[in-house]
Amino acid sequence: MTAEINVVPAGGNLKVKLAKAWQSVGPLVVFLTMFALVAILTPTFLGNGGVTIVASSAASVLLVALGQSLVLNIGSIDLSNASITILGAILLAMTLNSVGAIAPLFILIVVSIFGAINGLIIAFTQVPSFALTLGTFGIFQSAALVVSGATTVYVKENGDAIKALYQSGIGGIPMTFALGVIAALVAWWFLRFTRPGLAMTAIGKNESGAIFSGIKTRWLKVLAFTMSGFLSGLAGLTIIAQAGSASPMGLGSDLLLPGIAAAIVGGTSISGGVTNPLNVVFGALSVALVPIASAAVGVPSQAQSLVYGLVIIVTVALTLSRSSNSIVK
Amino acid sequence: MTPSTKSGVPVIALTNIEKSFGSNKAVKGISFSINPGEVVGLIGENGAGKSTLLKILTGMYQPDAGSIEVNGKVVKFKNPRDSISAGIGVVHQEQSLFTNLTVAENIAMNSGKGSSASTKFGIYRWSQIYQAAKVTLEAIGSKLDPKAVVNQLGFVDRQMVEIARAVSADAGADGSSLVILDEPTSVLEKHETEVLEKEIRKLKNFGAVIFVSHRLDEIMRNCERILVMRDGELVADRKTSEVTEKQLFKLMIGHDSRAEASSRKSIDSKETAAIEVNSLSRKGKFSNVSFSVHSGRLTAIVGATGSGREELARALFGAEKIDSGSVLLDGKQINNWRIPKAVKSGIGYVPSERKIEGIIGGFTASENLTLTHPGKSALGPFLIPRARKKIAQDWFNALDVRPNDISQELGRFSGGNQQKVVMAKWLNSPELRVLILDHPLRGLDPGAAETVNAEIKRACKEGAAVILLADTLEEALEMGDQVLVMRDGEVTSSYDLAKQNPSTLDLLERMV
Amino acid sequence: MASTANAKSMNRAATGQPTSVVASFIKRNVEVISISASIFVLAIIFSILNPRFASVENLENILNQAGLPLIIAVGATFVILIGSIDLSVEGVMSAAGMTFVLMTANSRGGTDYGFWAYVVAIGLAAALGFFSGVLFTKVKVPSFIVTLGMWYVGLGVATVLFGTDTMPFLTNDDLSTWASQQNLGMPNNFLLGLIVAILGALFLRFTSFGRVTLAVGNNEEIARGNGLKVNRNKVTVFVIAGAISGIAGIVATIQLGAVNPTIAAGNLFIALPAVVIGGTSLAGGKGSMLGTVLGVILLTTLTNGLTLADVSPNFKTAVSGGILILAIVITAWSQRDRLRISK
Repeated sequence: MTAEINVVPAGGNLKVKLAKAWQSVGPLVVFLTMFALVAILTPTFLGNGGVTIVASSAASVLLVALGQSLVLNIGSIDLSNASITILGAILLAMTLNSVGAIAPLFILIVVSIFGAINGLIIAFTQVPSFALTLGTFGIFQSAALVVSGATTVYVKENGDAIKALYQSGIGGIPMTFALGVIAALVAWWFLRFTRPGLAMTAIGKNESGAIFSGIKTRWLKVLAFTMSGFLSGLAGLTIIAQAGSASPMGLGSDLLLPGIAAAIVGGTSISGGVTNPLNVVFGALSVALVPIASAAVGVPSQAQSLVYGLVIIVTVALTLSRSSNSIVK
Repeated sequence: MTPSTKSGVPVIALTNIEKSFGSNKAVKGISFSINPGEVVGLIGENGAGKSTLLKILTGMYQPDAGSIEVNGKVVKFKNPRDSISAGIGVVHQEQSLFTNLTVAENIAMNSGKGSSASTKFGIYRWSQIYQAAKVTLEAIGSKLDPKAVVNQLGFVDRQMVEIARAVSADAGADGSSLVILDEPTSVLEKHETEVLEKEIRKLKNFGAVIFVSHRLDEIMRNCERILVMRDGELVADRKTSEVTEKQLFKLMIGHDSRAEASSRKSIDSKETAAIEVNSLSRKGKFSNVSFSVHSGRLTAIVGATGSGREELARALFGAEKIDSGSVLLDGKQINNWRIPKAVKSGIGYVPSERKIEGIIGGFTASENLTLTHPGKSALGPFLIPRARKKIAQDWFNALDVRPNDISQELGRFSGGNQQKVVMAKWLNSPELRVLILDHPLRGLDPGAAETVNAEIKRACKEGAAVILLADTLEEALEMGDQVLVMRDGEVTSSYDLAKQNPSTLDLLERMV
Repeated sequence: MASTANAKSMNRAATGQPTSVVASFIKRNVEVISISASIFVLAIIFSILNPRFASVENLENILNQAGLPLIIAVGATFVILIGSIDLSVEGVMSAAGMTFVLMTANSRGGTDYGFWAYVVAIGLAAALGFFSGVLFTKVKVPSFIVTLGMWYVGLGVATVLFGTDTMPFLTNDDLSTWASQQNLGMPNNFLLGLIVAILGALFLRFTSFGRVTLAVGNNEEIARGNGLKVNRNKVTVFVIAGAISGIAGIVATIQLGAVNPTIAAGNLFIALPAVVIGGTSLAGGKGSMLGTVLGVILLTTLTNGLTLADVSPNFKTAVSGGILILAIVITAWSQRDRLRISK
């Protein structure tokens, strides 16, 4: 019988504590700091409906980021979510014109199926999620180009109810953003207070342990990706509500990185098992503030993607807690 | 390549080597020496301290006290590299070859000398690498093609590459070298073993060999001298010609203990077994295993490395595939067996790899405890945190888990207290039918071990059928109503302790 | 002994003399042979669908289209061989391409730094690769996330350099027609791709760097146990991949004769699937440059043939994506296990 060696690495405690602190209040602090920075450097920001602008641009990022957080929480990643958003938005714009009011429901079912297909392939063929979703990213992007004929699709009829989502709101906060907050609350409740939610987190923290606890890990992975598809579809809905049109060009990849950045800045761990959807709200708001804040501190607007890229790298690098001998690929 | 053997100077000499982990003394004052040309066997039960000793010899552990001399010079191994350059090569139980590279490269990569001689400015000189490998292979009498890629080789051939590499590691050292073979045959078929043994005998030309095996007959055939370890001590150092197998068994076990027959519960033959296993087989792991365990009885399975008992236990839990045979739960045959289904049918499994498979370290103790069988802490899919806290607190009090803090992350508890929670996780199910325990006491302090044993007995009393893979033979005889002995994937004997009272020696003889 | 040790239990071929030279050749090169066969079959199908496919002109066209992805794929092969991934290719290409054009004779004026334009552009790309490599090995950020971030960093660098001015054109005509000119019967850009691939193959086969790369990809733990310099190797791999992306960025701008920040868009999507169908395993340790070359040709033939068969170019990324999925699913299929963890 060998003796149990229970060594807590020196200094590890401090790092664990820092990581915990970051996960609980970090996202809020980051957001408030950026907000204060913008408000001080650009005094006109508050007066000119800046809050509305930030909230509305945060809406689609938030929804995509929530889906990403649920997938990151099981230790995977979904690189296809933004392309699902665009495809969903295009399909919505087209079907609103033809089938009318039932279209949003129909689209949400379709995008959930897209997500489920991602999940099914990942869970049952055991391929790495980044590679699989990179592949489906290409397919959804193609599909968006094909169905739209590679042009912007406008909502011509039956769009009023959806547009109302953006035009109505409380205290300058559009309903599209409120929708994101509601989704965050539901996701938070789901992860904390339901068995499948807890089991998903278990998968992210220790998949072997989850398997040996009798958890149906494969179906829960499918569920996580399905939810990611669904939330990406909701993001598509907010795009239609805000813009009244959807374009297959560009926008898909324009949401991918902000979505990941919002999830990570919102305290979600890239290695799985740690996320708080309520903090992702602040993550999304911070990301939406990035262009305004960079303009305020004098960074040219062209540098936006550079800032996103750096935000991701730096946040992940700072919040990773790994033992020194683990193998990372 | 021929070693410059200085006669009289031992290849390796250990003096009073000690090593402790916490309060546990794993190696207690070991001294021995091995001369050039000797093949020495090292035997001992699981946990006798063999692997700790080997890790000291290979530089993975540093001894607390004592000294090591190699070819007459005192050495200190700070890491495996030091040991390699001193001329100690190891063939591990688990192979450590680059399967995508050639035989020659694998040999060259280990010997700092080999690789520097065959590369110039980082450019490979293949002909030299092949030539060097060929020389080494020929020296150990192997006709393997140095250009062959390792993943094209069978297991024996791979083992030969390991040996060649171990030998070539020593080529740079002055004096004789030491090759350590750590259970090299445990996964081989019989005819493969014969081939390998023939090769091992040639190795003595290179210096000395330490041969570790759980197969006593192999040790007797191949070694001139045998070292026996027990409880961290060297209890015997004998010439093979002067001992019998029986004596060696006794030395390994020390005090021979015997099960007491009186207290065991005998089976009501009409009653259906809780779990019945019929000629269960899994290729390369276990074959034709049959036994049954009744409700309220405990079956202990004993076996050495490679006996297949761990794989059998995992297969019963649905974690490994079953190739043929059947399993009946309460008389009903099970099909398409998977872990979630097993859990639902009332099977529990306490894995030996606790930190990886037993717990979710980042979850609180209460979350871990109720993850599988939430009991009243869940209403359908919805969780009730207050009920969860109550359940966890009750278990904490019952099992005296320390610290008594259910909302602390389980990963931060000591091993013993983690294991108590793992037990509670399964015992929390009122419908527990079969509990499979894979080395439940591994790494536990005596207090925690006692608690866990008490819980195992209680689970049994409350109607669970228990399958226990015990750490020691004494544990098996103390806990079991029935003891199965496995060797090389097959059940070699079965004792009903209500009727028979085998001794630990009887068990050991059928294990190895 | 080899002939006696026919380890049937392991279900693997024993060494020693192979029964037939042909059989063993096929066995060792099964991937190369099957990709070559696929290219052949595709060529026949496309020739039937559109006779123009088999014209000399179109074959040149295919090689011309394959040049750029081939260069990128060589870098990607190194990274995938250590079991990692480099998603930053397009961003690094843009940054290098932009740097190159702005430092050479272009429509915006400025100084022509000649040779130094190449050095600085490739140096910048290598530096981005170096940062990825260090963050990956030292800080242990998973490679896909580091390089995803680096993708956008590169894109941002290109966008900032681009500024708000007009698109800069190359004004040196020799340079802007270089890519399509021919040497040895091949377009220059394909020739360059081939040279990079051959160099890559030589590196892999004949240098300690190459062999250590394979060893690290096969089993990092054993590599460390053997005292190999694993971290140094990994960083070097990322620097090489970065530098190759830099070369690709320059070639891309030369091909277009001009540069904008999205010049590299879509290239990752051809290179990655090409490497994977070329037999390089995403798990690392297994793969070859020959496979990569054939993978690129296969994929280019496919997209070229589809275009000639009047399939909309909008399907292009779907084809690449579908092939990537197919390739990873086929390789993962045999390794499925109920206890296997894939992230």
